[in-house]
Amino acid sequence: MKTQKDIEKKKVLKLSPEYTQSSFTWITSLTLTMIFLLNCYDFTTQAIKPFVFSAFLAYAVFTLIQVIITLMIRRDLLTTGAVRKSTRRLGFVQLLSIFTGNVFVVSFAFSLMKERKTPEYTFAVYMVLTQFFIISISALNLFKPYVSDTFLIAMIILVTIMVFQIVATILVAKYVTHNRTERWMTWIAIPLLLTAVTGNFFALLLGYGLLMKGRSTDQSRIDKWDTMWGKITRNTTSILGLFFIIFMFSISVCSIFTFDYSLAIENNYGALLLEPSIMYPMGTDDFGRDLFSRIVFGARISLIVGFVSTIVPAIIGGALGAFAGYYGHRTDNIVMRLLDVLYAVPGILLAIAIIAAFGANITNLIIALSVGSIPTYARTMRANVLMVSNYQFVDSARALGSSDFSIIFRQVIPNSLAPMIVKATLTIGSAVIATSSLSYLGLGVEPHIPEWGNILKLGSTYLETNSYLAIYPGLAIIALVLSFNFLGDGLRDAMDPKLD
Amino acid sequence: MLKKIFLPVLLVFVLVISGCVKTKSEVEEGTKPGNDGKGDQSKVTIELLGMSTNESDLNIVRDQLVKNGFDVKLNMQPDYGSFKSQQDAGNYDIAMTGWTTVTGNPDYAVRSLFKTGGDYSVISDPELDKLIDQAGTETPEEYEATYKAFEEHLVFNKAYIVPLYSSYKTQAVNKDVLNLDSVRLSKSRSLPWEYIEFNYTSKNATDPLVLSQSASTLTSLDPIKGNDGSINIINTNMNVRLVNLTDDDQITSEGSLSLNHSIAEGNSEYYFLLRDDINFAKVEGKNAVDSGERVGSDDVIFTLNRAKDKDSVPDHRTYTLHEHIKNAEVVTDLASLETIKQSGSDATVKEMLEEGLDTKISALVDDKTDANNKEGKYQVIKVTTTEPFPQVLNYLAHQSAGIVSKKQVESINTFDVASFDVNKDIPYGDQNTVTEGSQYNNTLYASGPYILTSKNDYEAAFKKNPGYMKGTENEPKISNVTMRFIKDPDSTLAALRNNEIHMFYAVPETKYDIIENDSKLSLQSMESNAVSYLSFNPENREVSESEDLRKAILYTINQDDFISFYKGNKLKAFSTVSTLVKTGNELNADLAKAKEYLAKYKETK
Repeated sequence: MKTQKDIEKKKVLKLSPEYTQSSFTWITSLTLTMIFLLNCYDFTTQAIKPFVFSAFLAYAVFTLIQVIITLMIRRDLLTTGAVRKSTRRLGFVQLLSIFTGNVFVVSFAFSLMKERKTPEYTFAVYMVLTQFFIISISALNLFKPYVSDTFLIAMIILVTIMVFQIVATILVAKYVTHNRTERWMTWIAIPLLLTAVTGNFFALLLGYGLLMKGRSTDQSRIDKWDTMWGKITRNTTSILGLFFIIFMFSISVCSIFTFDYSLAIENNYGALLLEPSIMYPMGTDDFGRDLFSRIVFGARISLIVGFVSTIVPAIIGGALGAFAGYYGHRTDNIVMRLLDVLYAVPGILLAIAIIAAFGANITNLIIALSVGSIPTYARTMRANVLMVSNYQFVDSARALGSSDFSIIFRQVIPNSLAPMIVKATLTIGSAVIATSSLSYLGLGVEPHIPEWGNILKLGSTYLETNSYLAIYPGLAIIALVLSFNFLGDGLRDAMDPKLD
Repeated sequence: MLKKIFLPVLLVFVLVISGCVKTKSEVEEGTKPGNDGKGDQSKVTIELLGMSTNESDLNIVRDQLVKNGFDVKLNMQPDYGSFKSQQDAGNYDIAMTGWTTVTGNPDYAVRSLFKTGGDYSVISDPELDKLIDQAGTETPEEYEATYKAFEEHLVFNKAYIVPLYSSYKTQAVNKDVLNLDSVRLSKSRSLPWEYIEFNYTSKNATDPLVLSQSASTLTSLDPIKGNDGSINIINTNMNVRLVNLTDDDQITSEGSLSLNHSIAEGNSEYYFLLRDDINFAKVEGKNAVDSGERVGSDDVIFTLNRAKDKDSVPDHRTYTLHEHIKNAEVVTDLASLETIKQSGSDATVKEMLEEGLDTKISALVDDKTDANNKEGKYQVIKVTTTEPFPQVLNYLAHQSAGIVSKKQVESINTFDVASFDVNKDIPYGDQNTVTEGSQYNNTLYASGPYILTSKNDYEAAFKKNPGYMKGTENEPKISNVTMRFIKDPDSTLAALRNNEIHMFYAVPETKYDIIENDSKLSLQSMESNAVSYLSFNPENREVSESEDLRKAILYTINQDDFISFYKGNKLKAFSTVSTLVKTGNELNADLAKAKEYLAKYKETK
């Protein structure tokens, strides 16, 4: 009898998104706290670093509160079966951790504060978070000897956008439900869409969601949207992954105006190999270049190459796979056997050969990385097309006299796209790694151009004496690849009909 | 309410910030010299060629050029082979190169690089040729002024090269294993292995000394057929020479085949008194054995004749070093030595050759087997040069003048040089003959302290020459030497720290800290003759036509930036001789001059 009760209790805890996210949050937050604790003491000089120590204290406080909240949620769930209002109010306290940059605690706080979370609410929250982090990171440039000419105006625009986005978030929290919203929200949605030019795609998602919910009469479309994004936004790791990707993308866009490129590529012999400080948040490398600026600018190349070298083979491979799968027989044989030949050549080796033959620049890098992954996309697409083209709606389209071309592009491809999207997301991560690997081998972009692989290569020389030169670019690569993988997992869960 | 406060707060914030934040253009207005907006503002594109091992240097050069109004196209090649083919194809404006004067004399530092038709020369300038030849015949006191004039013409007047820096020579030693005092570091010559011993001398006979080098393909073990990093240290230790260099580049007979040497009046005749206690070693069953054959006058004469003769072997790489040797012969007339005066002193050559000997010379013998130093029977070699050329001794101290066995080499090199077939004929010293495998057939005869018994792609094994100066201080201390081939410096350093190897030669500047912080390692360092410089493409480029453009680049380069990048572990340089002769010339970056020459160049274009 007792065991039965235990199982039920466990089930209640397991089903509560707040409780699982809260546990996840205190564990990650504790990990970060421990990292700060270990780093706040300088073993060689036997002194405490005040800056890191205060960061440790701040993190420790919020982690402690987080543990308490977790226990309270547990108690609430076990006694009443739901999280009480008073517990939810503690979210406002945890919101303050935004100033420590602890994105895990902040995102938990937002999710605790609102009981019924629409995807739009989550988008709005992460939109504001992204904007806040962009502004704070850009603001670090204030400590540099000088800032770029466009810095002030760009910052004012960014802050204004954030203020507007905060207002929008409050309105979204109040007026958006799972199936509809007020029609006047359109007037919020359109400017939100415009703010997406800063690279903040959460604004784009939010604006689109609001427009649809406010204006569309097609309820099934709204349901579909809500279900799919609901699944992704409830998945903490995948939404955090999406957050980091969008954040990186947005900082790449905004850095054009708020960061000074010369600090990232011009040598400065007066500032060689400086330890991290407020002026150089990640230190300087052996040429006196600011590592922080280099990593920020490096994100641009990594993302561009990562995205383009995923999209190009997805399109080419997808088209070839679709034709092979739809027409079958001889077409299938010719296309797939040719691709098998390509598949037999190891991707990175092919890339190295292409770069060695045509020279190292970004275009060639993209081509080199793209060519090798065409066959895998073609195989994925072909398998889906083989399945989809046997469905009744394809037969009926054929009976209605549609041309092959129209059937392929109107019926078959749209219905085979989901696995391709998942696959693409999962492989962007490996494309980012491949880019960095090639740069690390000296086959990517020119060595002075900031690219994560380049930066890491330089850092590897100083692994023992100035380890931060390798740690930060390494962390950036890990975080970005991990984010893509988490997002890919989330997308797969959301798009897979079997998991419905 | 909140919104009402927010706007004014934001405004105040912006005003405060904009008051104290400096933008880039504001800062630059203050520091950079005023640009009056006149003149041609278009950028000159320069193609910079280099190897990826010099990535840091290339970056500094690129940065300096870019900051001063050039556009730089970087052409970085992964290894020397591809670099050389790019250079030969002329695909560059500036190439980053380096030079190390391994003979320690200034003539070598200029002759093959800058004289018309030199081995590595791309320059043809009669003024330079004249000065090089003139300095060659002069004594050190005299040639200082000549080399100064040479340097000024090379760099200031014509801007044929842009000097960057000269380096330190460094080696890291595991002092827990090796006796630090026994490990020498010399300015020019390679490391002599025979003096090295372990801290626990009982290990000398049993444990191998483990060294490392990056190249695993050995050019040739015939000393005249190679002059590069893959064999310089190996051949130095496998073949004894007539003379040696001291650690600070003075000529000495110490540790060489000669007991003494002397320069006769007129600087054209050179006498060497040979020792009788060196036998050639050979390899039998991967063990070094005494061949029983003494190293003597016939071998010396054979060696020097083939060293100067371009056609003595296929692919002779060092004959230009020995082109001043006219003749080498045995002296049997003792009386003649008593009449010849030594250069720059009143003593006779005989007195000089006898200095410090236990048994004075009683007879000179022709046949090496008749020599017996204890009984006063010696052999003397006389080398004559084509013109007075005191620096010939430096070339005789170079590994390419290492003594080989006349009998052995003649018995191996039986082919006709003119019709040499690389697929059929196997020359003496071919690395395949010592590489483990089906082609293994070690025919080496070593006159030096060690002999290579076998090698593979990972390491080479050496054994002590049992017939090398037995009982003297020059007798090799350690019986076995292993040379590990480790391609990259990071791995070499790791191997040193793991006790896999005992020494690391040429430590990169970035690793000094690590070695200094490791208690079991010791870093030895001294100024070397290695100079890095930029050379201009001599043909079909803007830089080859325009002296002004070259000078603009010359004055753009700031050597101090290199020195600060390498944390002070580089020295200023002016040319390849400036490490050998203190000419007092110095190049300082001068951006005003650079601008002036660039403007001149643009006008003439």
